[in-house]
Order: sequence, then structure tokens, then C-alpha cells
Amino acid sequence: MTSSPPIRLTGLVKSFARVRAVDGLDLTVERGEVVALLGPNGAGKSTTIDLALGLSRPASGTAELFGGTPREAVVAGRVGAMLQGGGLLPTSTVAESVALVAAAHRHPLPVQEAMERAGVTAFAKQRVARLSGGQLQRARFAVAIVSDPELLVLDEPTAAMDVEGRRAFWTAMHELTDTGRTVVFATHYLDEADAFADRVVMMRAGRIVADGTPTEVKAVVAGRTLAFSLRRPVGDLEARLRSLPAVQLVEARGARVRVATTDSDGALRLVLAERDDAHDVEVTARTMDDAFLALTAAASASQAQEASR
Amino acid sequence: MNPRYVLLEAGRQLRNVRSLVFTFVVPIAMLLIFGTAYGADGAVDPATRLPWLVETTVQMAGYGAMMAGLSQAFAIVNERSIGWNRQLRLTPLTGTAYLASKVVAALLIAAASIAAVVIVSVLALQAHLGAGEWFAAGAGLWIGIVPFALIAILIGQFARPDFAQPLFMVTFLGLSILPAWMTDVAHAVPSYWLNRLGQLGAAGSGDVLVPMLVLGAWTAALAALITWRYRHDAARA
Repeated sequence: MTSSPPIRLTGLVKSFARVRAVDGLDLTVERGEVVALLGPNGAGKSTTIDLALGLSRPASGTAELFGGTPREAVVAGRVGAMLQGGGLLPTSTVAESVALVAAAHRHPLPVQEAMERAGVTAFAKQRVARLSGGQLQRARFAVAIVSDPELLVLDEPTAAMDVEGRRAFWTAMHELTDTGRTVVFATHYLDEADAFADRVVMMRAGRIVADGTPTEVKAVVAGRTLAFSLRRPVGDLEARLRSLPAVQLVEARGARVRVATTDSDGALRLVLAERDDAHDVEVTARTMDDAFLALTAAASASQAQEASR
Repeated sequence: MNPRYVLLEAGRQLRNVRSLVFTFVVPIAMLLIFGTAYGADGAVDPATRLPWLVETTVQMAGYGAMMAGLSQAFAIVNERSIGWNRQLRLTPLTGTAYLASKVVAALLIAAASIAAVVIVSVLALQAHLGAGEWFAAGAGLWIGIVPFALIAILIGQFARPDFAQPLFMVTFLGLSILPAWMTDVAHAVPSYWLNRLGQLGAAGSGDVLVPMLVLGAWTAALAALITWRYRHDAARA
């Protein structure tokens, strides 16, 4: 039996005003995968999720769930989601909220079972307005799984949770996913993607800039950035830095040079030995945004190379 | 349509204490104040040949029912701002069914509010009217609130949360206070005809065709506007 993948996004484009929130995105998620969509704020993660679920329409491209339209998958109860800005009614209790959404579905789980799976039975009779941040996320999780979905889409599910709450949440998640469910979650925590996903898709500026195992992605993010200024032109230093094995990117803008590398010591030694005009030297741990910058720069450079061939 | 969802939704609204103030507490309190002030001696309104007390009861029951309809605007605006209907869009429930659930909830709450006002009037103020006439009056008011629920849906669709409150107040004042002193305008607004329908029911006779036609026209016009707006929203998403 050939089964269609839970998610297949092809050439998706979506713009808001003048910003391209999603810019030609292709992504296929296979059954049973746990995929992290990793990226800084504004990378287009939430827009991608909205498009995949059929909550907004792409300017071009298609979103398919299980080989059909997103709406068909939603109506069949095959998709559950925790959305950004998808809140519960503050005056209702957790149990009422789950029951209300269950009533809207065709073949829901028993409300009690959904609440047990999400671990919310202890505060089932509490009003939503009185829940703590972590409890609220779990209540939303209970609502997301009440249709017993095969595909779960979670947009920053652990936002507003402390470390312990986060751990408890993912433990509950894993009990669910052990049964072969497909999960896609958006996050801007690298450690979360590393610990809970078996595939990490990194996004920046509406595009996918890396797609691989957590280990592969971590290697990219792990390096440091060396930055310094020069009084004289950069000359052949740029090429010499680039030839160092651990250097991923050299960028010279005016007098300021930035080097992305996993061996900042080696690069620094070279710069200080060669140039007595180097000043304002900085070595910083690379933020995820730097890593993304490096990746996009690398990607567009290789594209340019291929185009010139 | 999804009856289980609709019933749960109405039940949820009936448990929401804040909305019950306007649909139950205010009309009953006004009935007790105005009913004892103007109708306790059994005086009859020469224009309609109904006892003042019965007229006041119809008016207050109509007010409570109207509020049950109009308060759906708050429910919708609130649910939109919280993102609850984003959550509902991930269920088989269609947008039409969501809006229909609000009309049904309004009708269920209005029925309870009308019954409560009539019961208080009969038990506490000894208003005299046959059971059949009470029923006809209540049924007239009840059917008549459909356009008010639709007005609420329209406000709920158009207004941003911070804008809904003033819009609601203007609509509410326009529907309830204006008719008292601007009779020309009064015959165009649905609340005049809502009250009229209740009075005709209480009198047990009279021409119900005109109020039904006016309220029916309002219903049709509002439903058309809502449908247009809904398609417009869906196309933009």
C-alpha cells in the first residue's frame, strides 16, 4: 500500500504587506517522524504551520495533508494542533473546553481519556483563566489530541513553561508519539529540537536553510564568531582566513571583518600574527541567528556558483 | 449542523454569570419596579386594550430576549480575540455552523429569559392573562429575536474587540431608547415590531402579518450581509 505523507508542502509562498513571510518552501514529512521547525522569531514558522493546516491560503504553491487538502484531513480528525494565538475560553473549565471541541469532532476520544493522556485530570475542573502557563499549555494539548489525530502540529508548545514543565510536557508527548504518530513542532530553542526531534528543519526569512538530524544541525550552530576591524584594506587576509579548515564564512564589510568558525583560536592567531592593524577584536559564542545567517550566506553563495557554471 | 456542540455552547453561555445579568436580572428588576409603579391597580392601556402590567411584562421579556440575541456579539468578538475560533477551525465545524450555534444559543437563552420574566410577573405581581395568551406573547417575542441575533453576528464579524463595545452600545441605544421619542424611525427598527408581536400575542388577536413581514425582511437582509461578509473573509484568509 502506498500511503501519502502526512505533510507535503510544495513551493509555498505567502506575503504580508511587503514582507515575504514564506518564500518558496518545500517540505515533506513522512509518517512517524518527529520534526522540529527551528528558527528565530519572524522566520516564517507560524505562517508555514497556518498554510499547512489550511488556516490561510498561499499566494502560490500547495499544501497537502495525507494526500488531500488540509481541510479534508481536519474534517476527518486526522490532524490536531496547538496554534499560536489559539486560546481557550477563560470562563470555561478545562473539562468543558475539551468536551466542547470533542463535540465538534465526528469520532473524538472520550473526554476523560484525552484529559488523562494530556495529564490534565488533576485540574480538569479549574477555569482556564486560573491556570498557570504550563497548565494552560497542557490543557491546549488535551484539546489538540481529542480527535485522536495521526498528525500533531504544535506551534511553540512549551512557550511560557519553566524547565521542569517543559520536561513534563515532552514526557507526555513521547508516550503519545511512541504509537507511531507524526509530530511537527515549532520552537526557537535549539536544545528542545535536539532533545525531542529526530529531524530538524531550520528556517530563516521564509526559507528552509538546513534540514538534517539534530547532530548535523548542532554542528552548524556550535561555532563562534570572530570579529575585528582593520585600519588598512583587508587584502589577501580574507582568502587566507577562508582557507583555514574550520572556517565556514568570512565576511568583510568596510573595515569590519567577521569570521564564522569552529576554531576561533586558530583564526585569531592568524589575524594577530599577520596584522598589527587589527583592533576591536571580539570572539563571541554564535547565536542561532548567526548560524542561520551563515547558512543562508553559504546557500546563496553555492547557488551563485552553480548558476555561473 | 452539530446538535451536541450547539447544546454544549448554549449551556456554557447559560453558566456565564456576567451575561445573565442583562438577560435575566435587569429585565426582572425593571419589571418589578415599573410593574408595581404603573400597573398594579389593573389599569388598561386604551390603545391596545391590554393591562399596563401585561404590556410592561411583554416589554421586559422582549428586552431580556433581545439582550440574549445581541449579547452574542460579545461572545463572537471575545472568541475571535482569544483565538477560540481558530481552534474551532481545526474541527469539522463549519463557519456557518459556528454562527448558527450562536443563533440557537440566543434562542435557548431567550426562551429561558422570557419564561422567567412571565413567571415572575404572574407569581409576584399577579398579572392576569390566559395561559394561551402568555404562550402566544412569549412565542411572538421568541421568534422575533432572530434578527437581533443576526445583528449581533454582524457586529461580531465586523468589529475589532476594542471597537465592539461602543458599536454595541450605539446599536443597543438605537434599538431600545430611540423608539420612545422618534416614532417615525421607530417603525423601521426591529425592536418596535418585536414588542408589537408580543402585544399581539398577549391580546390573542390582531394582524401579525406586518410585524412578521418587517422582522422577516430584517432577517433576510442581515443574513445576506452576513453571508457576503463571511465569503469576503474566507477569500482573504
